[in-house]
Amino acid sequence: ASEVSEAQTTDSDDIIVIPQSQKCPKADSEKICIEIVSLSFCPEAEVMSDENIKQVYVEYKFYDLPLSETETPMSLRKPRAGEVIHFHFSKVIDLDPVEQQGRRQYLFAMLHAEDPDEGWLKFTVVSDPLDEEKECQEVGYAYLELWQIFESGRDILEEELDIVSPEDQAVRIGKLKVSLQAAAALHGIYKEMTQ
Amino acid sequence: MAETESLVPDTGAIFTFGKTKFAENIPSKFWFKNDIPICLSCGDEHTAIVTGNNKLYMFGSNNWGQLGLGTKSTISRPTRIKALKSEKVILAACGRNHTLISTVNGSVYAAGGNNEGQLGLGDTDDRDTFHQISFFTSKDNIKQLSAGANTSAALTEDGKLFMWGDNSEGQIGLKNKSNVCIPHEVTIGKPISWISCGYYHSAFVTVDGELYTFGEPENGKLGLPDPLLINHRSPQQVSRIPEKVNQVACGGGHTVVLTDNVVYTFGLGQFGQLGLGTFIFETSEPTVLTHVKDKKINFISCGENHTALMTDIGLMYTFGDGRYGKLGLGMENFTNQFFPTLCSNFLRFTVKLIACGGCHMLVFATPRLGVVEESEIEE
Ligand SMILES: [Mg+2]
Ligand SMILES: [Mg+2]
Repeated sequence: ASEVSEAQTTDSDDIIVIPQSQKCPKADSEKICIEIVSLSFCPEAEVMSDENIKQVYVEYKFYDLPLSETETPMSLRKPRAGEVIHFHFSKVIDLDPVEQQGRRQYLFAMLHAEDPDEGWLKFTVVSDPLDEEKECQEVGYAYLELWQIFESGRDILEEELDIVSPEDQAVRIGKLKVSLQAAAALHGIYKEMTQ
Repeated sequence: MAETESLVPDTGAIFTFGKTKFAENIPSKFWFKNDIPICLSCGDEHTAIVTGNNKLYMFGSNNWGQLGLGTKSTISRPTRIKALKSEKVILAACGRNHTLISTVNGSVYAAGGNNEGQLGLGDTDDRDTFHQISFFTSKDNIKQLSAGANTSAALTEDGKLFMWGDNSEGQIGLKNKSNVCIPHEVTIGKPISWISCGYYHSAFVTVDGELYTFGEPENGKLGLPDPLLINHRSPQQVSRIPEKVNQVACGGGHTVVLTDNVVYTFGLGQFGQLGLGTFIFETSEPTVLTHVKDKKINFISCGENHTALMTDIGLMYTFGDGRYGKLGLGMENFTNQFFPTLCSNFLRFTVKLIACGGCHMLVFATPRLGVVEESEIEE
């Protein structure tokens, strides 16, 4: 959209001071942004009737990042039949070409994975017992293929992934909505590593 | 923030969070030279600022002409409305895509989207410059303005409430009409002291501290027991709040109420905007925010899906939808907050004004003199 120029709109008597921003935003090719948006379970899924599962959180793993940075900071009440719970947990991961070579190579390896299992970003849905004495329990997995983003050159915006049962990954138990802004970074990494 | 504080003058700065259209939507700040803000208001995607020198500045989305600049271009920097140069502006209220302002001499002006008559000009034609609502005269001493999705309200010093615009859900309190293009008085027979227009519901407080709600009845946002919802097109008292109510703020699907002692919330809270924790995503029962029970709250503000509270010592708590950083809790990593969360950015400031919009928030704060006692901020 076009904008009214400063000269037209600023009087000498109403100066607005905008301090220089301290930090330049990072270029899209030097970061990725992962958002865990929301989650729902299928009404007939076992997790819905399991009385021991009261609240859940979602986590993923990313190279050197501690889990404390890649899990939703809070557990939310298990969604009821037809209900969606909303985390809106978004994290920017720095992929500075100088300082974060390890992360860039990690992503390149995912794009090039021989083993198809390694080419996916894996999200884990975890049951967080109200009783602190009890153990957390993995209740489902959801997978996002990085190659698909690289190949299409398009970021993933609020895509619904199937959540599958850990016991039988052919059984769909719910939906996990995620966003992943990574197309520009993956393109840059691929170019850098194959030159 | 160490570096940041030293930059802000003693007279303070306006801090921007979320999708403001300002500074590429990165958390940022600005201030006026020789002037300070006295009123902030955020619409869905636009913002109004009134200053102590009675000037009006606008920025943000402008596709309905809601900035009143005679164009429909997005404006990314606070821009003075020069057409109102001869008027001393004192109040502004941004609705979803329209703007109301009032002046020292009692005039009320409106600009922007007008599909339901929310500009109060007798028709449904959009305006991209401010037009005076002839209904109001210098005899009407305007105390408060409020604007919702397609609704408008003006409250006078002597407790008269006027509303106009969309009435599809009864949100301007008329039983049978779908909308009205000129102000009409909403009365329950006693003077009114506070008004808030949400997206599709509205609420007001009487001088004796009673809360009334009306408009869209879903999701518990009227705070009324189910049998009363059939009368949602008329203001009904929320009798489940026992104490004297001082303020009310309506969001997209939720309502926040400030009494002498505590804050109540009700309605939809799927993103945490009720602040009632991670197990309650909807309630029609006005529920006390126990999380801030020991704090003295003196101002509340609701965006579409988020809430902000200001304490008596100028600290700020936010909760609800964390997208785009509108809660003021970080630079690039965000999450929904289901409990009131202290904005640590402002520990070294005194928060003076807060306005929450659709996907953004503005805060006016001045550098704090002295240190906040530990006991004031412990979580
Ligand atoms: Mg944990
Ligand atoms: Mg309805």
